[in-house]
Amino acid sequence: MKEYTLLLFLALCSAKSLTGPSYFTLKNMMLQDMEEDEEDDDDDNSLFPTTEPIIPLIPFDLFPTCPFGCQCYVRVVHCSDLGLTSIPRNIPPDTRMIDLQNNKIKEVKENDLQGLVSLYALALNNNKISKIHPKAFLPTKKLRRLYLSHNQLTEIPTNLPTTLAELRIHANKVKKIHKDAFKGMKSLHVLEMSANPLNNDGIEPGAFEGVNIYHIRIAEAKLTSIPKGLPSSLLELHLDDNKITAVEVEDFNRYKDLQRLGLGNNKIKDVENGSFANIPSIREIHLERNKLKKVPPGLPDLKYLQVVFLHSNHIAKLGVNDFCPTGRRKKKALYSGISLFNNPVKYWEVQPSTFRCILGRNSVQLGNFLK
Amino acid sequence: MRLALLFILLLPVCLAKPFHQMGLFDFMLEDEGSADMAPTDDPVISGFGPVCPFRCQCHLRVVQCSDLGLERVPKDLPPDTTLLDLQNNKITEIKEGDFKNLKNLHALILVNNKISKISPAAFAPLKKLERLYLSKNNLKELPENMPKSLQEIRAHENEISKLRKAVFNGLNQVIVLELGTNPLKSSGIENGAFQGMKRLSYIRIADTNITSIPKGLPPSLTELHLDGNKISKIDAEGLSGLTNLAKLGLSFNSISSVENGSLNNVPHLRELHLNNNELVRVPSGLGEHKYIQVVYLHNNKIASVGINDFCPLGYNTKKATYSGVSLFSNPVQYWEIQPSAFRCIHERSAIQIGNYK
Repeated sequence: MKEYTLLLFLALCSAKSLTGPSYFTLKNMMLQDMEEDEEDDDDDNSLFPTTEPIIPLIPFDLFPTCPFGCQCYVRVVHCSDLGLTSIPRNIPPDTRMIDLQNNKIKEVKENDLQGLVSLYALALNNNKISKIHPKAFLPTKKLRRLYLSHNQLTEIPTNLPTTLAELRIHANKVKKIHKDAFKGMKSLHVLEMSANPLNNDGIEPGAFEGVNIYHIRIAEAKLTSIPKGLPSSLLELHLDDNKITAVEVEDFNRYKDLQRLGLGNNKIKDVENGSFANIPSIREIHLERNKLKKVPPGLPDLKYLQVVFLHSNHIAKLGVNDFCPTGRRKKKALYSGISLFNNPVKYWEVQPSTFRCILGRNSVQLGNFLK
Repeated sequence: MRLALLFILLLPVCLAKPFHQMGLFDFMLEDEGSADMAPTDDPVISGFGPVCPFRCQCHLRVVQCSDLGLERVPKDLPPDTTLLDLQNNKITEIKEGDFKNLKNLHALILVNNKISKISPAAFAPLKKLERLYLSKNNLKELPENMPKSLQEIRAHENEISKLRKAVFNGLNQVIVLELGTNPLKSSGIENGAFQGMKRLSYIRIADTNITSIPKGLPPSLTELHLDGNKISKIDAEGLSGLTNLAKLGLSFNSISSVENGSLNNVPHLRELHLNNNELVRVPSGLGEHKYIQVVYLHNNKIASVGINDFCPLGYNTKKATYSGVSLFSNPVQYWEIQPSAFRCIHERSAIQIGNYK
């Protein structure tokens, strides 16, 4: 027993160097939105979070648990860049955030996250994960942020915690979003799944039913049209670097609250009349690097539209009412950014009054046509 | 989320300034010199003020701009940002004004870009920066003039071949320094380079080309990770002064000998990893060491284990019992080891001898 007390003392002593008050800040930054629903006391700021004997069956029982080479502080476990081939075993059970990025982990196994009931954020990006056990995430009942970008996943893993607020699965091999992929994820707000070989047929109908995502990005994929089954809660939709050829009236039927739309670097030739009438709150539209021959119709009616990127298209002519409404005071927000450079239109052919509803002198970038 | 939403909702209202009639040709004149503009350049929006950069997510003062293919740091970042995540982009250079308004930034994540140049003044405005993550870039050297407030610097997987004293001097708050996977040689580390970091607790220089334990490590160090290097022996001097060291990682080197007295210099060591080296015997001093609990010696060339290699002579003076000793994959046969060699180990499962194949 005496030995044991000494050990505890030792652990506390060596912990001192890591206990600056500012070490709270990372936690504060990364975890602040979980404080709402969790009011547990949090004075634990030692290097090794656990100063009492835990998991007595593990041989390292008297050893304050922190996987070798990792850093554990304020319930954050930092194990990035260690060449790990699997998720380490002895993660302190009260851990709230685990950073495992840039390792060589191939698989998330059934018991890898066992006991991590307080886990709030898990960064597994930049590994070699191709398999996630359907029960792996069962213990993590508080997981809000899951970063799986740059791995080898071929589909959105099933049975992810329904508590997720943010899911990032950029640059994997996802071809399919199953109908039940996001089932029950009522608080999922951000979904980043760009750079996956996903086409329109890969999104099963109903996959986003009952989900309130605000920000979706499916860029660098194989979409040929704007997916119609995304959540109606969307505020931001980013579909840049796809193969979308046209914008049609029914595309935005569901996305009435949309405020930012990114469609740059696609193959859009036409924007159907009335398409934008479905998104009256839109503030920013990016249509640069497409194949538009004219300014998309309907812009003057968008009262809050402030930014329109149309550079690097095939626009040869600008009408005097392409951007601004004809009546006064119809626009609630003036344009702060209109880009038209790298289009065949010649600036001396543009009527000055075309831009009568802009915010400032630098709000329009017309440019010269480069041969 | 509520806050972010409110922000988004309020924004158009704030920006809807009264209509200003102005010289309508002004913008065209302004534009005349821009013929040399690269056609794919993003247009510069001025007068728009700091908002969340397009495609990024801004939420609770965290600005998340990863995986966007950005070639530069976005302009007009919200000045109250505390965490800026720019990982997985194509940023090649950090320019002087890139972070000019970010006085409240605590963490800057620049991992996985193509950064080869950082302007000497770029970090100057970041008076509160605590975490700087520069891993997976093309840096040849760490920049001078890093903020004095830094507590953690990670520069894994760069092209760093030199570590100069001037770079670390005065970084009194740094606790964690990660410099693994860099083309670093022992000769590239200036003598006492790390000495200036009075609070340094964790240092990792793994998978480089260094051939010895860096000299002049600060006594505050509790963890030293040097695995995957080309270290061939441990000199007692290399560990001198490290009285707080608790974890020492030296696996996957080519260590063939540990000088007598080395472990005396690290009296509070608890965990020693020496697996995958060329050791022919158990390092001396373990028996007398009071706190050591974990010793990895597997995958070496240890041909025999002495009766006093692990446990003290006579009365057990150890203050901590071993919880993990690994000896498998060594030429020593387990039946050749006297059971009493492990007399101070109470838990049989703490010893892994294995069979030599």
